[in-house]
Amino acid sequence: MPREAEPSLNERAFVVQALQEGLRVDGRAFDQYRQLELKFGEQYGVADVTLGKTRILVKVSAEVTTPYTDRPFDGIFTITTELSPMASPAFEVNRPTETEVLLSRLLEKTVRRSNALDTESLCLVAGQKCWSIRVDLHVLSHDGNLIDVSCFAVVAALRHFRKPDTSIEGGHLTVYTPAEREPVPLSWLHSPFCVTFSFYGEGEITILDANLLEEQLRVSSCTISLNRHGEICQIAKLGGTPVEAATLLQCASVALNKVKEFSTLLDQKLAEDAKRRNKGGLLAELSAENER
Amino acid sequence: MATAQSERIFVLPGDQIDPSLIPSHPKKALRLGPGLRHIPPNELVPTVAGQLVTDPRKNSIWVEYNGGRYVPTVGDLVIGTVHHSATDYFYVTLSSYTSNAILPQLAFEMATKKTRPNLNPGALVYARVCLANRHMDPELECVSPSTGKADGLGPLNGGMLFEISLGMARRLLMRKSVEEGKVVVLEELGAAGLAFETAVGRNGKIWVNSEKTKTVLLVGRAVKETDEKSLTVDQQKKLVRKLVREMS
Amino acid sequence: MTVNSEPEALLSHLQNADGSATFSFSGYTVVGAVNGPIEVQRRDELPEEAAVDVIVRPAAGVGGTRERHLESLIQSTLRQIILVDNFPRTLIQIILQVTTTPENEYVNAKVAQATSNLPILPALLQTAVLSLLSAALPLTATLTSTSLAVVADGQSKKVVLNPSPREIETSQSFHVFSFTSHDELILAESEGSFTVKEWDEAFSVAQRQCCPPTNTDDGDTLMDDGSLPGANLKQFIRSTLEGKIASDLHWK
Repeated sequence: MPREAEPSLNERAFVVQALQEGLRVDGRAFDQYRQLELKFGEQYGVADVTLGKTRILVKVSAEVTTPYTDRPFDGIFTITTELSPMASPAFEVNRPTETEVLLSRLLEKTVRRSNALDTESLCLVAGQKCWSIRVDLHVLSHDGNLIDVSCFAVVAALRHFRKPDTSIEGGHLTVYTPAEREPVPLSWLHSPFCVTFSFYGEGEITILDANLLEEQLRVSSCTISLNRHGEICQIAKLGGTPVEAATLLQCASVALNKVKEFSTLLDQKLAEDAKRRNKGGLLAELSAENER
Repeated sequence: MATAQSERIFVLPGDQIDPSLIPSHPKKALRLGPGLRHIPPNELVPTVAGQLVTDPRKNSIWVEYNGGRYVPTVGDLVIGTVHHSATDYFYVTLSSYTSNAILPQLAFEMATKKTRPNLNPGALVYARVCLANRHMDPELECVSPSTGKADGLGPLNGGMLFEISLGMARRLLMRKSVEEGKVVVLEELGAAGLAFETAVGRNGKIWVNSEKTKTVLLVGRAVKETDEKSLTVDQQKKLVRKLVREMS
Repeated sequence: MTVNSEPEALLSHLQNADGSATFSFSGYTVVGAVNGPIEVQRRDELPEEAAVDVIVRPAAGVGGTRERHLESLIQSTLRQIILVDNFPRTLIQIILQVTTTPENEYVNAKVAQATSNLPILPALLQTAVLSLLSAALPLTATLTSTSLAVVADGQSKKVVLNPSPREIETSQSFHVFSFTSHDELILAESEGSFTVKEWDEAFSVAQRQCCPPTNTDDGDTLMDDGSLPGANLKQFIRSTLEGKIASDLHWK
């Protein structure tokens, strides 16, 4: 098993010393994210997000299947996060590491359990046919803060996604191809985002968006998931040094501000993309005519 | 050497090399550098994509390129992290996911069985590769075998380690790094009145130490930016002026 | 959706991998990363040469037999051009992540994609070679790869170069060929029913496509005979790498 090189003692001492003096190695402020960039693909439901040197690609796909027997009125919604050795040779295929398990659990809690996607709207014929929405997350490059970027990318891709239009006539289901009818967006209820805090020293130093080196050296971390309305979906503080309650409260309010920024950025990018697609709006018009 | 070259000669793996390009020295044997493969009896084939460079004076030929993983070569100065130690050796990591290099505990200046250094896992060492071949793990030394002097090699205390590209490390380690490597960033920082010390590892690492944390960060950032943004000499000077102004 | 007829590539853009490339051609986009030589697991260790590990990951869904099939084809091809005996007891890892496959506007995209495994093979091979070059791993040669379909055209049959998914669907046979930069055939895979004569014809079209007469000895511009349809991949690899090397060695 190839192993990740551990940071040296010198790096450990220096990073912590610098933080105590109020400095970060890459020159950012404590509450400053790296440059966050979002690109949508040519196809619907593809989001390519970079944050500094971390890069994540998310693809959403849909297909018609039979619903689970115990949930006949619900569609199926799955998020797959398999870390490939592309992110780091330490990740092996078919052998989930701790990072991967934590990432998928957090996304599960943040996006799926918070009912961001209305799964009932995915039901086509109760107990017989429903949409299965599948999210595939690919980490192309890993330089820390996978959780925040992944969550942002997943939400972005889902909101960008369009599923084929359908109609039911006399119990018969017709799924239209993109050439016949414009695909339709998912029924989206709210957009939760994750904000991860890393703690140093005795827990009194708090920074946002730690890079890989900073992540390796932190004494504990805390991920808060919430939407722009301040509704908290989950808080995860898994082990590590205890943190004062007051610090956590402080974190929550910082998180809210960051989430508002994420929300605005995403809305803006979605609008830009819609505008860009509409330029070739001729195609959409043509297909609408053809329906008749 | 390279200045004598009038045009860049770009090669891909498997390309044919024009025989007229291969230097022919009456006395010295032809020396092959990295990126070339000799297929007996007399065929030379590039194995990487890069620029073909020749030095008629030394009768040598090689392919210059940047990128890839560090492969240890005898004589290279490297910065390693001690992984663990056994009775006679330290096991040293030179890059992630590769097998460890070995550093004998007696390969330090003035080291005897009683005075050998005690390095904990995670300690940094500046060392020279003294044995490297494809079938064995590389071996390091922190002392010159001929003089018995450390010549600046040995444990690195304090400071901070920054990752740079292999090409940048090569440029910084050139004997005439300013003229040939076109990197002036360290000289400019020194001229700006900053007090710091550095060690460059051919394995793509630079260690910077100073009394002031800010100075270490500034030097590291300047070198990394020069590397990542491929700055020219003038841009490096400008960057240093900007960083020094921001600090004061 | 626009299908790019010209190949596009981006090199060394993933900073944490030793080498990386993104390659797009005829509707496919593949991101490749190469790490190596790195430490190999004991069970995969080869005493005299480097183990080459190829991992193909689809854009949607988990990999299955289709990916394993592609992996074995790519692995056996690349082993022949990588100088594996330079790095015994190590691992060279090549990860190919498919990000875009051509969409058929008339069929609903599903998680289970095209029935045939082969159409994506040229794009995967090309990405792998560019990533290996970006990782500066020693190679004996580069390679180019192309796909062809034999389509019934009334009574006669014609050979279509770089066919679209629709053309593949209606074709009688489908072929993938790869040639090294020394113009040697290194991979030939075929599907469907075809005669030896048809195969020969497909082979000669592929050969003309992958091994155009070039004047590469002194790095001169290529002779433009203009008769070839499609892109000149050999020239494309050369110019892509030339650009990368020039920017890497800007200080020279």
